Amino acid sequence: MDLQLSPQHLAFREEVRGWLAANADRPWREVLRGSTATEDSLIEARRVWQRKLHGAGYLGMDWPAEWGGRGGGPVEQAILETELIEADAPPILNTLGIGLLGPALIHHGSEEQRRRFIPPMLAAEEIWCQGFSEPGSGSDLASLKASAVLDGDDFILNGQKVWTTFGPWADWIFVLARTDGKDRYGGISFILCKLDTPGITVRPLRQITGESEFGEVFFEDARVPRTNLVGEIGEGWRIAMTVLAYERGAISFTQAVQYGRDLGRLATACKEIGRTGSAVREKLGRLLVENEVMRANGIRTLANFADGKAPGAESSIEKVYWSEFDQRFRETALDLLGPGGQLVRTSPEARDDCDWARQFLWSRAETIFSGSSEVQRNIIAKRVLKLPQDPR
Amino acid sequence: MRFELSEDQALLRSSTRDFCQRELPIDKTRVVMEQSKDGYEPGMWRSFADMGYLGLLLPESVGGQVLGAIELAVVMEEMGRVCVPGPYLDAVLAASVLATAGGHEQLLAEIVSGRKLVVLARDDSPYRGNRAEPTRFSDGRVRGTKYFVPFGARADALLVVTSDGLVLVDAPGNMTALETMDQGQRFVAVALDHPATFVGPLSLLERIDQIGAVGAAAMLLGVMDRTLEITLDYVRTREAFGRPIGAFQVLQHRMADMLLRAESSRSAVYRGAWCCDTRVVETALACASAKAYAGDAARYVCGQAIQLHGGIGFTWELDLHFFFKRAKTLEQRYGATEAQLENALAAAGY
Repeated sequence: MDLQLSPQHLAFREEVRGWLAANADRPWREVLRGSTATEDSLIEARRVWQRKLHGAGYLGMDWPAEWGGRGGGPVEQAILETELIEADAPPILNTLGIGLLGPALIHHGSEEQRRRFIPPMLAAEEIWCQGFSEPGSGSDLASLKASAVLDGDDFILNGQKVWTTFGPWADWIFVLARTDGKDRYGGISFILCKLDTPGITVRPLRQITGESEFGEVFFEDARVPRTNLVGEIGEGWRIAMTVLAYERGAISFTQAVQYGRDLGRLATACKEIGRTGSAVREKLGRLLVENEVMRANGIRTLANFADGKAPGAESSIEKVYWSEFDQRFRETALDLLGPGGQLVRTSPEARDDCDWARQFLWSRAETIFSGSSEVQRNIIAKRVLKLPQDPR
Repeated sequence: MRFELSEDQALLRSSTRDFCQRELPIDKTRVVMEQSKDGYEPGMWRSFADMGYLGLLLPESVGGQVLGAIELAVVMEEMGRVCVPGPYLDAVLAASVLATAGGHEQLLAEIVSGRKLVVLARDDSPYRGNRAEPTRFSDGRVRGTKYFVPFGARADALLVVTSDGLVLVDAPGNMTALETMDQGQRFVAVALDHPATFVGPLSLLERIDQIGAVGAAAMLLGVMDRTLEITLDYVRTREAFGRPIGAFQVLQHRMADMLLRAESSRSAVYRGAWCCDTRVVETALACASAKAYAGDAARYVCGQAIQLHGGIGFTWELDLHFFFKRAKTLEQRYGATEAQLENALAAAGY
């Protein structure tokens, strides 16, 4: 057992720290609160930051060298992410392109597709959104109905996608569409669509935070060239599942850094406003302990990655743990901060340490997206505990 | 980086699992816990010595194994799986204090070989509802009342925590048995007005308390692991409404939560143990977190194990209650949850 970062990883961390010290801009939380901040200006700031990271070789680090990769793995990725959190750097803009589509193209795309799509994705010239969920297909994703029918050299797409993160400002969407109505899994294909294609309409959806980060996308006889098919017809489900595995990574490790930072700010805030009683301290103590246990889960995953072990269904345990912990944390934060914790970030009276109200609301999304807590528990019961399955 | 145990540590795990299954199966332990006045089998102590368990953390000069908290966690986890009764962790911790203090070579050699038992006497007695009075040491005598001394009736000497430091006192009389619900953990109250020798300052306890927290959390982990196994076996075979009850989603989700708590405890326990051995700055926080979390987690897992068994889970006949009771005892001892939360807050500077 050795839970220390290796000398090479420590050297990489030093390199990232040095680069951030020279290149990081204003803390992101200050930018968010700025009087001139608009949704568009924040997107622009994220685009600029992504280009900076790309220029320094910090995007797609575990990709092949010709796409900007540098032979790194999940450990380097986790180190980079924790340092970005510590520096309070902006998030990149093309999260879904780089997080999901990039790996899909590298593993399943054609050489032509990689050359066409990866460079503008990395440079934030083309922003991607993900078209998986539908109004009638959430947790039961494989029941999706959006159809793609081959007509000569084109697919004709019909149907609707929803909860499409980044939909309102994306240029492209990667879609799971049904190419065979009879084959539940084998009838799904993975298709890339330009959002200004005639027949495609994007409508923003307002979230409980007030933001319109996601939207819905309608397809009405939209014609998309067959060359935009990734992999073969009917391979879409398999591609989506391997790609979703990339979403996981050593997430508890990086989340524990972020929550640890916010927890420290909450503890300071409690002192400032005079909430130091034993009931308050017990709540803080429990959050602290739960976050340390999450950090231990993250260290374990990271060490297993470094040891060459790919995470299996246990990653479901991590997803349930961190998402449900964050809800307890944000709820408790609002309890401890009193009504002031509910102020929106642009209010002059709001605390400038963290956007407590927004994080409280946002935490409700975490137990739903990327496999709800209920789906994750089903996975644990089936794949880890190997419990008998009820006929469904 | 590597989370897996080293080859030697993995060997220690398999030999300890074999030893526990052979020498300490729960059927045998059940009889010992029900019938022995000691709550454990003192004769087993020689086997513990032969396996090297009693000197696990001690230097070679007294016959110890010079191993660390990871190895202790491995042994404690395996002992938790069969709910081993007796003062094992208490003996290890008391011996570590003596070894750190220096001297005591003769006594330590006797502890390592299983000929003598020394345990820590910590809690000041709120005996019969009175407010606790601190135990004092002056003029070569220790005075006060200690409460919940583990296996004090079998101890050859007590390492007594006083407000003037740690002192060693030969097995005193005046002991009152404190019978608790856990038949495998026996306690006494002891009134002290005895000659004693000074061992060292209270600061000796700092590191021992961290190791004790990790050791207890590791036993809680073993308790959870085994309890979950027993429950999984049961729900796969027990049928209701024409199917194994393990096929019901409501029970599956409960067991997913039990696994989440057990596995998260495993991460926390071994991280805590690794921190103790590596002596990194986050050791205090990691150990406090492991103990506080595992205590809550084991109460949940053992309680749900009884729930998922239904009526049979509430019977003396089934083994579950031994695990359930041990979980509660361990939650309260080696730094109770409340104290560990304070330790964690202090370590984080909150």
